[in-house]
Amino acid sequence: MLRDITLGQYYPVDSPVHRLDPRAKILLAFLYIIGVFLVKDLFMYLPVLLYLAMATWLARLPFPMMAKSLKPMRILIVFTFILNLFFGTGSRELLRLGSIVIWEEGLLNALHFTFRLILLVTGSSILTLTTPPVTLTDGLERLASPLRVIRFPAHEMAMMMTIALRFIPTLTEEADKIMKAQTARGADFETGNLMARARAMIPLLVPLFISAFRRAGDLAMAMEARCYRGGEGRTRLHVLKFSRRDLIAFLSMAGLFIILLLPGILK
Amino acid sequence: MPIVLEKLSHVYKSGPHTSHALRDVDLTINDGELLALIGHTGSGKSTLAQHLNGLLQPTSGHVLLDGQDINGKDSSRRALRFRVGLVFQYPEHQLFEETVYKDIAFGPKNMGLKEEEIDARVREAMAIVGLDFSEISKRSPFELSGGQMRRAALAGVLAMKPQVLVLDEPTAGLDPRARDFLLEDVRRLNRAGTTVVLISHAMDDVAKLATRVAVLEKGALVMDGSPLEVFSRHERLGAMGLDVPQGFRLARLLREKGFPVSDRCLLEDLAGELADLIKGGSGHAA
Repeated sequence: MLRDITLGQYYPVDSPVHRLDPRAKILLAFLYIIGVFLVKDLFMYLPVLLYLAMATWLARLPFPMMAKSLKPMRILIVFTFILNLFFGTGSRELLRLGSIVIWEEGLLNALHFTFRLILLVTGSSILTLTTPPVTLTDGLERLASPLRVIRFPAHEMAMMMTIALRFIPTLTEEADKIMKAQTARGADFETGNLMARARAMIPLLVPLFISAFRRAGDLAMAMEARCYRGGEGRTRLHVLKFSRRDLIAFLSMAGLFIILLLPGILK
Repeated sequence: MPIVLEKLSHVYKSGPHTSHALRDVDLTINDGELLALIGHTGSGKSTLAQHLNGLLQPTSGHVLLDGQDINGKDSSRRALRFRVGLVFQYPEHQLFEETVYKDIAFGPKNMGLKEEEIDARVREAMAIVGLDFSEISKRSPFELSGGQMRRAALAGVLAMKPQVLVLDEPTAGLDPRARDFLLEDVRRLNRAGTTVVLISHAMDDVAKLATRVAVLEKGALVMDGSPLEVFSRHERLGAMGLDVPQGFRLARLLREKGFPVSDRCLLEDLAGELADLIKGGSGHAA
């Protein structure tokens, strides 16, 4: 009826970041993670944050949405902060409340962990927000293909991931439809204790599994009918190509690394 | 129990996209009516259907049942769902129980009825849709033929004895025989007093059954009237990508060829008129 399928969390707009080669984006995300861990001084999170903000702006992603990607992590972030704050030990005492002592090292640690978590989550979500999952697996396949020498089934893994991802929206839609149909028959998915709720899932799960198996059978047949026989000798419609844009992205990342490493070198 | 839709609008949101599925729809569904809802794919028919029993909540506007807002604070949506039965597209995809009996009993059981009452309702519902109780009730729903599965799923909704029955393309994918069976069931239910809302692309089905036709285009209600009134605006319907019944088309073609037949929706009616014409005025053609 309408294209309201959210594939993963892909945010479909056109931007320079969206158009980067997926392999480049995966490698950049990897480098970015290393970069975050290179920070030793709290102030050095500032350039990382600026880099992130720039990437978000270039990718035309709304900033509130980036903040929203942190929502599932908020409990973890608060916990790591509190645990590091209260359970660290060190040499310089900051505050004493009865038997609880807060050390300067504990506070620093807590801040480091919090910043790292926030920057890692938002940073890696740029990758998934700007890359459609199928393109992402394509990139992964190409990056992993050298591993074929050690018999790593790169193509098969990527095909499995692609199919799984392809069916997430289909099955979500199907689940939604079945849930509505059963709700119309008076099924109740929302109230009751754990056992009652688990039992209430049966009218949803049985039809969902049946339809998943039917679709899997149909898909296998359709793939065979088009002579699919694994990755051997298969050519591609969209051949990935590194472009100038990717080079610029890598140069910007190199710039970030220089800024992050400079204090250590100058010392 | 009339259903009144007042300025009903619904907006689907996803990421950067919003789409208006319904725009300010005003529609009253009267008791005992058989209302056909037609429109191009994506015109908002299914969205509208899901508002009738509170599965979707309007972005703005109201759905009134017996004068009461079904999304109001003090109305129980669950109780309401027992009064408005909704049969989705391909309802056989919702079958899940071990036996046909248990599957049909699912709705009545959720209503909290007693065992004897459930049993009586399952038997009654199976009789309405023409499934033999002794032969089929103990079988797995997944062993049935496509048409039988569809009818079992329909029975699952009928067993709840809804006052209003909403059917979303009930004949899609059925062979002609199974389709005729199902339409006959619907007609019988309507004659017995159930209000029916029928969503369909098959204009011949609409012509056969409907007492009133409403047309949706891009979420807005653009026509509402008797089948003859609506289908006589066939040019406008054609522009929306909608068909007219065969009887209607044939009547137009015959008139172009000089036969003074009137507009008819049903081939049967047209054939009768044509036969009278030929018998009565044998000199006319010459």
